[in-house]
Amino acid sequence: LIRPALRRDDVPGWAGLAGAVAGPLLAVGIVTGIAALFYSNDTMTEIVLLFGINAVMVVGFQVFVGNTGLVSFGHVAFMAIGAYATGIVSMDSLDKSIVLKDLPGWLAQTHFGVVPALIVGGGAAAVFALITGLALMRLSGAAASIATLGLLVITVNILSQAGRFTHGPRSIFGVPDKTNFLWVFSSLAVAVLISALYKWSRSGLRARANRDDVVAAESAGVASLRARLLPFVLSAFLTGVGGGLYGMLLTAFSPASFAIPMVVVIITMAIIGGVNSITGALAGAAVVTVLNEFLRRVENGVDIAGLHLNTPTGMSGAVLGVALILVLRWRPAGLLSAYELQFERGRDRPASIPSAAPASNPSPGGTHAGQRV
Amino acid sequence: MSNFIQHVVDALSVGSTYALLALGLTLVFSVMNLINFAYGMMLVWSAYGAYVMLNHGVPFALMVPLCILFATFVSMAIGRVAFRPFIGAPPITLLITSFGVLLVIQYLAILFFGEEPTILSLPAFFGNVVDIGSVRVPVLELITIGTSGVVVGVFYLVLNRTAFGAQLRAAAELPDVTRLMGVKPDRVLMVAFAISGAIAGVVGLLWFAKVGAITPRSDLDPTIKAFIALVLGGLGSTRGALLGGLALGAIEVTLSATLPSSALGYQPAIVFAAVIAILILRPSGLSGTTLEPAR
Repeated sequence: LIRPALRRDDVPGWAGLAGAVAGPLLAVGIVTGIAALFYSNDTMTEIVLLFGINAVMVVGFQVFVGNTGLVSFGHVAFMAIGAYATGIVSMDSLDKSIVLKDLPGWLAQTHFGVVPALIVGGGAAAVFALITGLALMRLSGAAASIATLGLLVITVNILSQAGRFTHGPRSIFGVPDKTNFLWVFSSLAVAVLISALYKWSRSGLRARANRDDVVAAESAGVASLRARLLPFVLSAFLTGVGGGLYGMLLTAFSPASFAIPMVVVIITMAIIGGVNSITGALAGAAVVTVLNEFLRRVENGVDIAGLHLNTPTGMSGAVLGVALILVLRWRPAGLLSAYELQFERGRDRPASIPSAAPASNPSPGGTHAGQRV
Repeated sequence: MSNFIQHVVDALSVGSTYALLALGLTLVFSVMNLINFAYGMMLVWSAYGAYVMLNHGVPFALMVPLCILFATFVSMAIGRVAFRPFIGAPPITLLITSFGVLLVIQYLAILFFGEEPTILSLPAFFGNVVDIGSVRVPVLELITIGTSGVVVGVFYLVLNRTAFGAQLRAAAELPDVTRLMGVKPDRVLMVAFAISGAIAGVVGLLWFAKVGAITPRSDLDPTIKAFIALVLGGLGSTRGALLGGLALGAIEVTLSATLPSSALGYQPAIVFAAVIAILILRPSGLSGTTLEPAR
């Protein structure tokens, strides 16, 4: 008998791995189904697509933050790089001759389809992460967070200055309008598959060991830099793909499109859902999207019991802020904590064996569940 | 030569603002491990306070102390409502909490003052330039350097010569022992937020006197500069904060003076790259203290 369950640990063996990977995929299926219901409504199409794209990026963000415990404020940089790289290689050469006149010859001729363009977007972000990560991943704690914020500043600065490739601080336009339901949600499924496979791989375990107890992990032969670098690069790749989808949804964007408000969205989604869980990333993206959409309607004015309520714009930011604080206060590890949707065999699972302690057990020094938010 | 002196004055004035910012942040960090993302917003609120008072005919000489009081009060209120429940939480949780606080108080600013820039019109002498020998120095730079000197002096007096200061230093070093000695952690925290708020009040006036216009979103620049100064100098030490701020000012001014004009647009990226390079060579910052809790 195989049944779905919420678990914190992986089940050993190939069957366990299959169950641990299939669970998040089921979650994607559920999310996609619900999204499809809303997608048929014309006013909701853009919101559904944005939700899917945000989910891709939050899953990407989770790969890094969940496995290494370092909080990145710089993932929007990877998103920006993904959007620009995807945009440049997928643009029509005629459009390029107008918007980006000074592109080098080989780039001016490229005209990729959706999948190769998204892979180029993710790949560009991954290469950037590899180069910068060699330096950044040596830092830890708050210094690392601040340095990743610096990464965002550097990236936006470079994108607005390198006008030859990016049309500078003005908008780049003419990016093909290729983002649709199919591409967004199949990307989401692939992103979840990759991150689940990574999470339960040896390398994922090394990263989490390093997160829980640096000294113990290093003395057991886990090199900190390597343990953090791979999730950083992988996470940048997924975020870059999300950025590429975002770029092909907007079709026109500027470096200013990738700023703090975008960081706010990704971080609140990840933290509210539970940053240590892939299922949590999906849940967080869904909850925040629904909340945001509700607030947007309230901003436009709603009638509740005969009262016309109208709040000034920008309130969604404040409500997200309050939600963030409340979640951190009362459920510091997020709605789903470290729990994942998994499939497990119901019958022959012993009630409890001590050795099956959760893989993400808090370190001896850790005091409460919020330790690794 | 006069060019060089000019640059030194520039660097001192820019660097001393950064140093004050980092000082205000590091103080709260040392008692509760909080790196406050909302600190830049404190400057914005202080500047808005100044704007409202000047608009209501409060004379400049009275406005300055009132504004500092206002910032002190706001900082204590935020500390009491938003941060106190998180005492003892891990630094990352605190950092993200402050991010939430930023969103809320930024929204309040948008609500009261709108997204459009608000012009802060200060007395005319702020815009003057004085000639000292062959060097022309803006009055605002002199005021900035002078004020910073005074603030740092008062800060050290409070920290080293008053009971509050002693309690603060004790709580930063050995929180448990300090508690056993009968010092209430709540009160220490409030004192830290008060001092940090007062500093934000002063820097807010200096910062926006220079920028000229306030928007609810102009907090990002000071916050980022303060963060860089903080990690550059070394988290949690007052000496490091001062050192980091002055070093950051020096790096910025040197770059804008020496970079060729074609590369000038990349200045923020180069500054950050330089800071990250320094951090890799000295992970605990220039001052070299490692007060960040080992995890």
